[in-house]
Amino acid sequence: MDSLRQEKVQKFEEFVDRRLKPDLVHAIAERDKIFDQQKIFSDLRKNIENLEKNSVTSLRTLVNLGSEVYMQAEVPDTQHIFVDVGLGFHVEFTWSEALKFISLRKEKLERQIEEYTRLIASIKAQIKLVCEGIRELLQIPEEKTVEGRVF
Amino acid sequence: MGKSQVKGTVTSLSSMFPAEEVQKAAKMVEDKLSDKQNEMNQLKEFIANNTSLINLVQKLPDELHHDIMVPFGKAAFFPGRLIHTNEFLVLLGESYYTERTAKQTVEILKRRGKSLESKVNTLKAVMQDLKAEASFFDSTASEAAEGLVEIREYEEDNSTERASQSGSLELETPSVAEADNKMGASEDDEYARIMSRLEELEKEELAAEDNEENLEDEDEDANAVESDGNEDELIKAAEGDGDEDEWTKAAFHRKKDECYSYLDHGQRYSESQSRKQLQQFNGKEPIEEMSNKYKHQDLTNQFASTGLTEEPVTKGNYEGEISHGRIIQQDTKSLSPSINASAPFEKKSVQASKSEFDSSKAFTGSIVEHTQNLDKSSVGTNMTSLQSSGSQPSKPVSRFKMQRK
Repeated sequence: MDSLRQEKVQKFEEFVDRRLKPDLVHAIAERDKIFDQQKIFSDLRKNIENLEKNSVTSLRTLVNLGSEVYMQAEVPDTQHIFVDVGLGFHVEFTWSEALKFISLRKEKLERQIEEYTRLIASIKAQIKLVCEGIRELLQIPEEKTVEGRVF
Repeated sequence: MGKSQVKGTVTSLSSMFPAEEVQKAAKMVEDKLSDKQNEMNQLKEFIANNTSLINLVQKLPDELHHDIMVPFGKAAFFPGRLIHTNEFLVLLGESYYTERTAKQTVEILKRRGKSLESKVNTLKAVMQDLKAEASFFDSTASEAAEGLVEIREYEEDNSTERASQSGSLELETPSVAEADNKMGASEDDEYARIMSRLEELEKEELAAEDNEENLEDEDEDANAVESDGNEDELIKAAEGDGDEDEWTKAAFHRKKDECYSYLDHGQRYSESQSRKQLQQFNGKEPIEEMSNKYKHQDLTNQFASTGLTEEPVTKGNYEGEISHGRIIQQDTKSLSPSINASAPFEKKSVQASKSEFDSSKAFTGSIVEHTQNLDKSSVGTNMTSLQSSGSQPSKPVSRFKMQRK
């Protein structure tokens, strides 16, 4: 009987380690990616608002050519900004249109984050379940006394 | 046959190095190898980026302005122009920037490329060593599976004890057992081979050490005397008995996994000398770790056996490494001779490390010696010389420093 239990315990443990934990790690990584995207867009929004506030028409920046080698660049007209709308497309917006787009984008990202959070929670719950199962299997042969629940 | 003097044991390889362990070791080496491969790929990518950037930087000054899309954060662009096309702001590291022209930037990038390439070369050397080790593990695993048997014969009573001692210190590396087989068979031949190798490698040493010899003239003389004496003693001893036998085995068995390459550096004949070197190394912080490893592992010469088959590899390493700085130089030098030519190398490395130690001025003063009888005399002389130099810190230090600069 013991060996059977041992086997079951081992199977459960393996299941946790091989499937549930990597799944969890994966889900968390995806969610982090979306957090990053969210941050990018909120930064962009702040910048656009800044430009609007100061009515900046032309801009001088330093462009990274790669390996941190910069070169001066001039933007003569900042009225039109090209924003990445996904799938490799960039759309030319005016400032106000850009801001509208950014808020729409943010909503979508928030929804995605919610989904991932739910997924992560369910995976964690599964892990806990399996651990409890293992504990039960191990504790019953070890302790003759039944553990009373503490309310 | 003097049976009373000759004792022997027969042990099967598989009992000494169980197949699983060997496989585990092989797997570890493979993992390391794949890690190094990834690093190598990354470095190659960097090099490719660097060259393409050099091309770009060279082309940009051809025009006054370039029309581009200027990025604004990670998700937006502005149409704009590149201006001042001959002025580049280059990051030197640590938040230091510098404004340079195109030509100067190209020079900076070329220097970066060179350092990347040297990194790639060292990585290649490391990978080659790993591959050799992996092949050894594999072959030993197959041999152990076949049931190869190791036969040891001793000629002295002392040596039996030692051998049994070392036999009990079992470690994972099967290459050692392999070495034992080979070594047991061809001891006499080796002596002759060793002497000739000694000469060969001495010459190489001299060639490589040309630059640094000026600094160490004084030390050379002092050390040359002792080390020569030491060398003779050791060689006599080795030829006389099967002591060499026990030394090899003791050395083999004490090898550990990690230091298979540059850090591992045993020579049978001159354990003491290497120890001296280690103590001198103690003076320098980055090398402290290595020296500790040496001490603990008693300068095992895993390459005594692997050296037989691996000479081309380690030699290649040695040559490749000449540029890499004195310390590493010493290590590889001491590596490539492996079984052979320990004394001359040690001589050089002792001198080199001695001057280094002097100038770094951090002699710990504690020499841990558990050497054989042979080495005590040389140890004594070296100790006194070291101490005497230590007692006058200012003079020798300044001399060396001047010479160094």
